[in-house]
Amino acid sequence: MKNVLRVIIFVLVMGTVSGGLLLGVNAFTASLIAKNDELKLKSSVLDALEISYDKNSVIKIFDAQVKTINKGIYTYYTALDGSTAFEFRGPGLWGPISGILSLEKDLKTIRKIKITYQEETPGLGSRIADRDYLKQFKNKEVLPKLVFVPEGRSQQKYEVDTITGATGSSRALEKLLNDNLQRYLSALKG
Amino acid sequence: MNPTNPLVLFIASIFTHNIALVYILGMCPFIVISKNLKTATGMGLSIIFVVTLTAVINWPIYWKILVPAHAEIVSYLIFIIVIAATVQLLEMIIEKFFPPLQSSFGIFLPLITVNCIVLAVSLFMVLRKYDFIQTVFYSAGTSAGWSLAIILMAAIKEKLALVSDIPEGLRGPGITMIIAGLMALAFTGFAGIITLQ
Amino acid sequence: MPQGKNKKSIKQTGWFKALTFGVIQENPIFCMVLGVCSSLAITNRMDNAFAMSMGVTFCTAFSSLFVSLFRNVMPSRVRMLAYMTIVATFVICVDRFLKAYFPPISEAMGPYVGLIITNCILMGRAEGYAIKNGPWFSFLDGIGCGFGYSFMLILMAFIREPIGFGTFFGMRVMPSFWENWVIMTIAPGAFFLLGVYLWIFRTITKKTEN
Repeated sequence: MKNVLRVIIFVLVMGTVSGGLLLGVNAFTASLIAKNDELKLKSSVLDALEISYDKNSVIKIFDAQVKTINKGIYTYYTALDGSTAFEFRGPGLWGPISGILSLEKDLKTIRKIKITYQEETPGLGSRIADRDYLKQFKNKEVLPKLVFVPEGRSQQKYEVDTITGATGSSRALEKLLNDNLQRYLSALKG
Repeated sequence: MNPTNPLVLFIASIFTHNIALVYILGMCPFIVISKNLKTATGMGLSIIFVVTLTAVINWPIYWKILVPAHAEIVSYLIFIIVIAATVQLLEMIIEKFFPPLQSSFGIFLPLITVNCIVLAVSLFMVLRKYDFIQTVFYSAGTSAGWSLAIILMAAIKEKLALVSDIPEGLRGPGITMIIAGLMALAFTGFAGIITLQ
Repeated sequence: MPQGKNKKSIKQTGWFKALTFGVIQENPIFCMVLGVCSSLAITNRMDNAFAMSMGVTFCTAFSSLFVSLFRNVMPSRVRMLAYMTIVATFVICVDRFLKAYFPPISEAMGPYVGLIITNCILMGRAEGYAIKNGPWFSFLDGIGCGFGYSFMLILMAFIREPIGFGTFFGMRVMPSFWENWVIMTIAPGAFFLLGVYLWIFRTITKKTEN
């Protein structure tokens, strides 16, 4: 009987001490972690809207220059000059791809695309997140829809290059960008 | 909310996102167990059962108890305790009620608790925010994928032991890794047949 | 009741025989290989490998320390539970620390930090050493094992990052004509490299499988 009691007491004490320690760690770090998430989103939005900022002024500049609009499940970020940005999400070849896309005031011309998360093949498909690849999207038009063509062959205002050797990831990006654009634009106008 | 179709999730976790050959998890038993096809099959089937059961138990514990209480920080601890307790319970049940299963199922149970994939499935289910049905299909598929990998590995090694002359330094863990590499390479051929959210 | 208790402790010994076999009887490199399994995926970059090494060393050292501190009050029935609780507590602390102070590394490593809990080395050292020895030596043993493990991880990343990405700790080191071996950044490359390393180590130390 004494043994069973000892076991129970030990388990209870250990549970309480561990639980208590962890809740303490939680209290200490939770706000910092939440702040990291907020900083990541806001700095990405500022980046996409091409508003300059430095590490310490992210929140201040965001609050001053960007307005957040919610239309049902869709969230838009508008800058003072009328440009709009929103988060896009979709399936890539290996895992989810997410990022921020910003459009000029005409809601047709792309200002910037930034990829915030992807799990594509490192060095190959993951190049869709590279600044060098994404800068071709600037001033391209999203209507009627973005068309990805073989590398080097883009001519029209709505055509962009795929990455040679990363057809899967490129196709996935094409599909998810068009899907998100269609949904967000119709919700914004409707 | 994750919009992936559960059936797609099931197939993807066996082929395109195989937890052993793409995420490199659950390797410890690969090196120790995969010498014999029969043992590997037994281990594989036990894993499918335990992983699915623990995922099914951990999902409501996380989403219905820990999240509303803002106690997500203890989730790893709770998960591993649930896993250990489930395995212990299964051991007792098999001993008491199903003795014939002891040799084909029971002996693997102690090793399953420390198999990375049991905890990994619970961790991924939380990370990717799967709902209950998705979790069932995901855990069943992942463990089936792992079992497939270990069964293939055992089959290859059995054949290899009969016909080849492996250099001394490569025997055992070394050749297991090389075979795993070749299998992983083959499995990358599946990429693209399914896309995951 | 006594019979039941006996059966349980034997079973636990049997279980740990499989686990500690690599720690006590076999070559330490083999033991490290068993532990490396859950971290192979992150060895494609030096900074991730480094962070994981420090995390595992910290967790092994401190969980061995605490297991040793409580070794006399721990009822043998709940030994396993105690190990798990102690290890999990430290791993959660490391995970939180990374999320709060190094978010990009935490994001790159994802759930692999949590999987340190199931790393064979931590439990193996707790049962194989810490439960029978004093706190200071257990702590040192944990650090030693952690370093051995780190050595393995860094050795992997040392080859994988330059060859697969052309960088080292994020900085470009390969010449401009170098065509990245993408295979080294994904699973097959890790397996092949580990196989080759095992071949080399085992040939050098002449410890072979009979």
